[in-house]
Amino acid sequence: MFKVSKLLVLLLGITIAISACGQANEKKGEAGADQKVQLTAWAWNVNVGALNSALELYKKDHPNVDLKVEDIGRLDVYDKLSTGLAAGGAGLPDIVLVEDDRIQGYLDAFPKGFLNLSDKGFDSKADQFPAFKKELASKDGKFYAFPFDAGPTGMFYRRDIFEKAGVNPDTIETWDQFIEAGKTIKQKTGSFALPADKFKDDALFRMMMNEQGVFYFDKDGNIDFNNPKVVKALETIKAMGDAGLVKDVNGWDGTVSATVDGSVATIPFGAWYYGTITDQAKDTSGKWGVFQLPAFEAGGNRAANLGGSSWMIPSSSKNADAAYAFAEYFATTDAVQEIAMDKHGLFPSLQSVYSSKLFTSDVAFFGNQKIWQLFSDEMKNIPTPYYTKDYALGLDEAVKAQADAFNGKNPADALKEAAKRLADRTKRTVNNG
Amino acid sequence: MRTKAYVPYLFLTPALVLFAVFMGYPIIYSFLLSFQTSVGGELTFAGISNYTRLFGDEIFFTALKNTFVIMVTQVPLMLFLGIVLAALLNAVKGLKGVFRVSFFMPAVTSLVAYSIIFSIMLMGDGIINQFLAQVGIGAVPWLSDPIWAKAALILAMTWRWTGYNMVIYLAAMQNISESLYEAASIDGASRIKQFFSITVPQLKPVILFTAILSTIGTLQLFDEPYTLTKGGPSDATLTIGMYLYQTGFRYFDFGYASTLAYVIVVLIAVLSFIQFKVTGDK
Repeated sequence: MFKVSKLLVLLLGITIAISACGQANEKKGEAGADQKVQLTAWAWNVNVGALNSALELYKKDHPNVDLKVEDIGRLDVYDKLSTGLAAGGAGLPDIVLVEDDRIQGYLDAFPKGFLNLSDKGFDSKADQFPAFKKELASKDGKFYAFPFDAGPTGMFYRRDIFEKAGVNPDTIETWDQFIEAGKTIKQKTGSFALPADKFKDDALFRMMMNEQGVFYFDKDGNIDFNNPKVVKALETIKAMGDAGLVKDVNGWDGTVSATVDGSVATIPFGAWYYGTITDQAKDTSGKWGVFQLPAFEAGGNRAANLGGSSWMIPSSSKNADAAYAFAEYFATTDAVQEIAMDKHGLFPSLQSVYSSKLFTSDVAFFGNQKIWQLFSDEMKNIPTPYYTKDYALGLDEAVKAQADAFNGKNPADALKEAAKRLADRTKRTVNNG
Repeated sequence: MRTKAYVPYLFLTPALVLFAVFMGYPIIYSFLLSFQTSVGGELTFAGISNYTRLFGDEIFFTALKNTFVIMVTQVPLMLFLGIVLAALLNAVKGLKGVFRVSFFMPAVTSLVAYSIIFSIMLMGDGIINQFLAQVGIGAVPWLSDPIWAKAALILAMTWRWTGYNMVIYLAAMQNISESLYEAASIDGASRIKQFFSITVPQLKPVILFTAILSTIGTLQLFDEPYTLTKGGPSDATLTIGMYLYQTGFRYFDFGYASTLAYVIVVLIAVLSFIQFKVTGDK
């Protein structure tokens, strides 16, 4: 008997020692106003630079706040975030970048996982952002994300390739015209019209849907794959593929290398792609231009959004107040947003910035075109896409439908099958075209 | 001095605690999780609904089918290659070390690194298709055609794991007594005959061991489809391991993901049992 109890005492001792360590760690985090606060953030790509630039400004008035930005790959951020949230907030940073299309999924899966920003007073700042962005950053009327960049889309194109082929981009107003131009370009220069990760991603498809005011789901959350406009978008993509105009690229890296080596004449993407082009293809300065996405019929809407992201604060943050203060400063300060765009090409959703000089000036890299004006004029015409909490499932099925179409299936049939599978998986109703 | 009865337990404690925290707890917790579902972010008990859901889940069956197709083609192919290579190496006199290392090298490269290299080589305009074009064969849609994508996976996995199995066979072959071969040569048996009548039967327990390991490995297949094809095109290379991952981390359905994990456990147990029965000795 004695032996067993001795063992128990030992185990108890170990347990107490371990839990004491835990508590000691927790106390360290609670910093008073004068104490140093060490914040951590997870972000990827050009966003990292934007955070660091903002911190430099912020530190002038808040010398005690420090921020450690961890540059983690986009998908790795989500994997780590999901794991951490599922583990009750263990190991999460104070600030994390989340793309707009994922916010609702996270809020639904982890309703207590993120700081309620409305409770901290963010509502008073909300009117500075466009409606579609506000809708994406909130749930049940409460904000959970600080709106950051948006992705008004455009066709980034190579002026030199267009000139060599004798195609004037101003004459391209519809996708049909774009396909014709693409054929000429392919013939004369050998460059593909555009890159696409045919079998793994559907960025172009999403832009084409958004442009027409449709998406995977309609505003009531019903599956909208059979909508004639959705079918039309996929048919157009397939037509480009059949005409040999689409370069099949492998993921993000493939897209970037196609951009750099000139094997594609245009890249349809969000405004944030500016940062990647100017960063990765420095020696092509002056050779670039932007025009709006072609419309589906002459005179149709050419505004769409792709991507865009927001900052969220996991509720496990030990420095939530400091993190809130910094993130709010980041999201609502004109100077920060101007730097984010000027230096890192991240297009702000903070509307007050659009009237600044930066937005009305020429961009040398883009052949002195006023590209920022083009993008900011586009913002007001962007229809809201309805991502819903099942966005990830919708994306999965849309990518499959696109892959099926590229592999020879009729687009309408491919979408019909995808709609059926999506209905099975989400228990949502399917709209019939 | 007599050792007190609790002393061994005391020494075992650190290992037991680690096992309990990092193995025991997750095993039990995921088992409980497989009976739960998320309602408005809260996990609630859902009975066996996750298990019944499996039977109506088209994607699960696609993933199961893919995994089995890959398993029944890749595992025998790889084990056969492994034995043949090992037999050749066993006969080689010089440079044995160089060959052994070069065949084993793929097994120690990082899974992700090699998958990325393969995905670059197998791309539409990648080096392999460029080579095929040079020799007059058209480009093969390695990663975009449902059948070729599976072939690409099998190719990549065979490259990586053949050397690993070869080394195991090689070690086992060196334990086969020379006298058996001597006797066979005196009786006039050819090299091939010796291989099938002596080497293979002597290797039986080792073949069983590698077959079970490879089966387990294939059922958990994740890295290659994740980096090479993302499970596509259209789920053609989706494995159960990948589906589990997507369910948990993309769709936040941790309960159902745990159910899938336990299905894999049961499959591994059943297959290993069958293999023991078929090839193993009593």
